[in-house]
Amino acid sequence: MNRTVVPWQHTPDAHFLIPRRVLACLILFILCSVAALAQNASQPTNLTAPFSARVTHLLGFEGAPTNTNGTLSIQDSVLQFQNGGKPAVEVKIASVQNVFLGEQSKQVGGLPMTLGKAAAPYGGGRVVSLFAHKKYDALTLEYVDANGGIHGAIFQLNKGQGEILRNELVAKGVRVSQSEDAATKQSTAEVPSENK
Amino acid sequence: MKTSKRVSWILLTMAIVTIIFAPPRLSAQTATAKSSSGNGASGAVQWSVQVDKVNPGDVDIEPAFRVAIYENLVDELGKTKRFQQVFRDSDRTTSAVPNLLILKTTVQKYTAGSETRRAVTTVSGATKLTVRSQLCTRGGQVILERTVDGNVRFLGSNLRATHNLARNVAKTIKQSAVPEPSLSVPAQGAQ
Repeated sequence: MNRTVVPWQHTPDAHFLIPRRVLACLILFILCSVAALAQNASQPTNLTAPFSARVTHLLGFEGAPTNTNGTLSIQDSVLQFQNGGKPAVEVKIASVQNVFLGEQSKQVGGLPMTLGKAAAPYGGGRVVSLFAHKKYDALTLEYVDANGGIHGAIFQLNKGQGEILRNELVAKGVRVSQSEDAATKQSTAEVPSENK
Repeated sequence: MKTSKRVSWILLTMAIVTIIFAPPRLSAQTATAKSSSGNGASGAVQWSVQVDKVNPGDVDIEPAFRVAIYENLVDELGKTKRFQQVFRDSDRTTSAVPNLLILKTTVQKYTAGSETRRAVTTVSGATKLTVRSQLCTRGGQVILERTVDGNVRFLGSNLRATHNLARNVAKTIKQSAVPEPSLSVPAQGAQ
């Protein structure tokens, strides 16, 4: 009796042990393939779709208010900045003479956060400041207007997006200054150095 | 005893009133004097100015700072109303402008600061800029030369130093005596 019972009880476990392993492998395989597919799917859209990113216009783009958030996009031969429902401001890419990419580190939270940090007792605000900063890309453009006058515009983008935009502009024939590399290495914010 | 107390109270009140009201009057007088002497709009002929691109000199300054100084200078000089028109560098329309001054800016000193260090320590991390500003005629004659600086010590981003600098340059030019355009016609004719 026992001989017949024991294998009967153990065989189901042994039987299900193999499918569990197979199932785990299958799930891993599916996850990997989904990730790979997602990467493959995202690459063509970046290549085909026109570049568009949420940016902060710091200054200089004629017709756009300073320190405003908006969408910077490349459409055909035009670089366009759209701020909410207001009419878009655009510049021909052919008129862009130079593009520089830098890096900035800024405190997040704006004025409310600053006031909150100032009000925090026992220097608690300083501790918050230590962690409440974020790095951004700063894209600087030099372009000429219809009269030949030189303009400069500075945009603040999320980290990594500045390089994509710069590469897009370079692909469309915009010149990158020789001194840019050196300037990029020397971060705007975090490297204190005195030059005389 | 009571009378002396009253007198002393009256004197004290008068002193306080004098202290409170006297300085604004004085400063108002100074401001009026400055605006009457500094504003060149009183004459019929007024200069126009062309802002040249910022020359980094020997200083390793970021392009964003150069561009920000240039743009802020164009803005701030326009606000002073000292000049008839403010032109940008390489503007072709300046060839037809008779009384044109050229503002040349050379960076002399630049200290890159850190907003985080300012927020954490308060005393360190300041962004400092010092430039030499020259107002020249077309012929190259320098009619005004000043060294101006702009800093951010406590609140604000690093680029705010460029705004402060441009405002100081505009203020300096506004308060300086610049010869009338008619006096320097030979210098313009030299070109």
